Amino acid sequence: MKPLQRILHVEDDISIQEVAKVALEIVGGFEVRSCDDGQSAISCADDWQPDLVLLDVMMPGIDGPTTLTRLREQASTQSIPVIFMTAKVQPSEIEHYRAIGALDVVIKPFDPMTLSTQLREIWERSHAG
Amino acid sequence: MQDSDIQARLAALREQYAERLGHDLQTLMAQARELAARQRTVEPEALESLRHGLHRIAGSAGTFGYPALGREAREMELWVQTVLETSVAPTSPMLTTLHDRLSGSYRLLEDSAKTTVGEPQSDFELVSGERSVRIAILAEGDTQVLLQSLSGFGYDCRGLSQVEEGHEWQPDVVIIDTSNLEPEVWQARIAEVPGAMRVLISDDGSFEARLQAVRGGAQGFFTHPLDVPSLERHLRQLVSLPQQDPYRVLIVDDDLELAEHFRLTLKGAGIESRVITAPRDVLRGLRDFVPDLALIDINMPGCSGPELARLIRFDDDWLRIPLVYLSAESDVQRQAQALAQAGDDFLVKPIADVALVAAVTARAQRSRQLSQALACDGLTGLIKHPAIKELIEIEQSRTQRSGAEACVVMIDIDRFKSINDTYGHGTGDYVIRLLANLLRQRLRRVDHIGRYGGEEFVAVLPACSLENAREAIERIRESFAQMECVAGKEVFHVTFSAGVASTLDWTDAGALLEAADRAMYDAKQGGRDQVRVARAASP
Repeated sequence: MKPLQRILHVEDDISIQEVAKVALEIVGGFEVRSCDDGQSAISCADDWQPDLVLLDVMMPGIDGPTTLTRLREQASTQSIPVIFMTAKVQPSEIEHYRAIGALDVVIKPFDPMTLSTQLREIWERSHAG
Repeated sequence: MQDSDIQARLAALREQYAERLGHDLQTLMAQARELAARQRTVEPEALESLRHGLHRIAGSAGTFGYPALGREAREMELWVQTVLETSVAPTSPMLTTLHDRLSGSYRLLEDSAKTTVGEPQSDFELVSGERSVRIAILAEGDTQVLLQSLSGFGYDCRGLSQVEEGHEWQPDVVIIDTSNLEPEVWQARIAEVPGAMRVLISDDGSFEARLQAVRGGAQGFFTHPLDVPSLERHLRQLVSLPQQDPYRVLIVDDDLELAEHFRLTLKGAGIESRVITAPRDVLRGLRDFVPDLALIDINMPGCSGPELARLIRFDDDWLRIPLVYLSAESDVQRQAQALAQAGDDFLVKPIADVALVAAVTARAQRSRQLSQALACDGLTGLIKHPAIKELIEIEQSRTQRSGAEACVVMIDIDRFKSINDTYGHGTGDYVIRLLANLLRQRLRRVDHIGRYGGEEFVAVLPACSLENAREAIERIRESFAQMECVAGKEVFHVTFSAGVASTLDWTDAGALLEAADRAMYDAKQGGRDQVRVARAASP
């Protein structure tokens, strides 16, 4: 299995961006780039070819699900797995995100000390089965 | 990077966030107030902007250590959303209520800023940092005696009267001997250290006295004459209460949709689960996932639930895991028949989400307590030999998947036999406990510490480089060598030798452990009281 190394984090809230960077780079040992919005995420994903995109659902401009659709339309980013992040916790909604092609959903607020482990587990689970 | 550095980085971000949060809350308050004061209908855009602001807080406050504020914001967000969806214009009193709730949140934020000025959050601090566990003691007359005996176990003890409010030294645990003190006196003193866990010592061992202690928030209760070793054992449990990993549940159900629903419901309650739809994959699932509990559908094609349960019970490794059937079967007779074969309990479908979570949590908790008790060494409370070996294997395969580095450390007390010969086995045991406590206090919460043999210890340090592991053990070695061990009237010093090996150099758990062992042996050969690193053979 390919190890998870590069993560592109897309989030409009700068505080969350920063804490996720600490959580993923320092605690988790990943390589991380952050984008403020869906549009720049689409071009960054094309350029940088991350292993995983961690995508906030609710963003101004194009939102998370739309960004996912665009990533899928673009050949170079078609197969990059996406995990959504959302503060909503309705099972039906999570179900919906999975149905449109997300690996899984990380619920906000997240714990910066365990976020990396959570992503690794999702990564391993999706590759196991 | 050190755990404490991470905490410092997070603390800095938390501070920044608090400032922004205060600003955001004030903006929202102003918006709500302005809307409430307006005479004309409130347009949806204005509400949408409120909702967005609340949504941001709901999703972020918990991450930065303000979970209560986050939940409050979430409730307000839902309220605004309901208003938006029903398209009934909110009245002025409704908006005033919203404004008041917002200012309540703002006050909550200000209060928490006052109490945590410059202090890292206590739950991160305890045990994981480079300091001893702090204990404050209030025991009329006997304070000094208790202080000395607990200091001998490696705790940082002070009299409660020396603890000053606002001073940097605040206790993790406060021990109060209530026998010679008026309740008003010790209750007032205990209230001055609200963050500390409480242990009471009393003359009165009656049910009423114990109940009183429970109601007073005590987490430990001892009677005179005080048995110091058992007090110490209790303290060890209190302070090393591990930051619980989420409970793990294996769901075996051929109905994928239902199984996914269970998985998501449990996930919402912070319980991790893995779904298996084919009964034949269950043994692999158990081995890979090591659950605290298995939920098994009773009717599956090819293999019934009770058959599967009996099959699982063939293997002693899974004896501790409760097997719970999920079934539409409400016939008590047939339930009893299934349970008579194997399995521990029934959950009847359809089951309410709340009921599922409650049933699973209670059983998983019990299962985990039991396996922890079984896997721990009686003298030190550390993990026993077979369990720590298993942990090394788990860690090893985890690092292979993730590419991260983990280290294994082998530690052996120097000239232990001569300590036993000179001072007796009681003192030998005391030295072993001393080192066990030191390791527990100095290593991080994520680290696993095991007692490998008589005077041998093993530590598994996940997400840790070889150099960081060596440095950490080196510091512990120095502290240990400086500790004064007491045997009767004599004071002596003990040292240890250690070997460190990294998962990057050895890909097999057995070889990794052997490498750490060899490095430890080198340390012994090199004159003891030192830490050696296992170097991979050059390619």
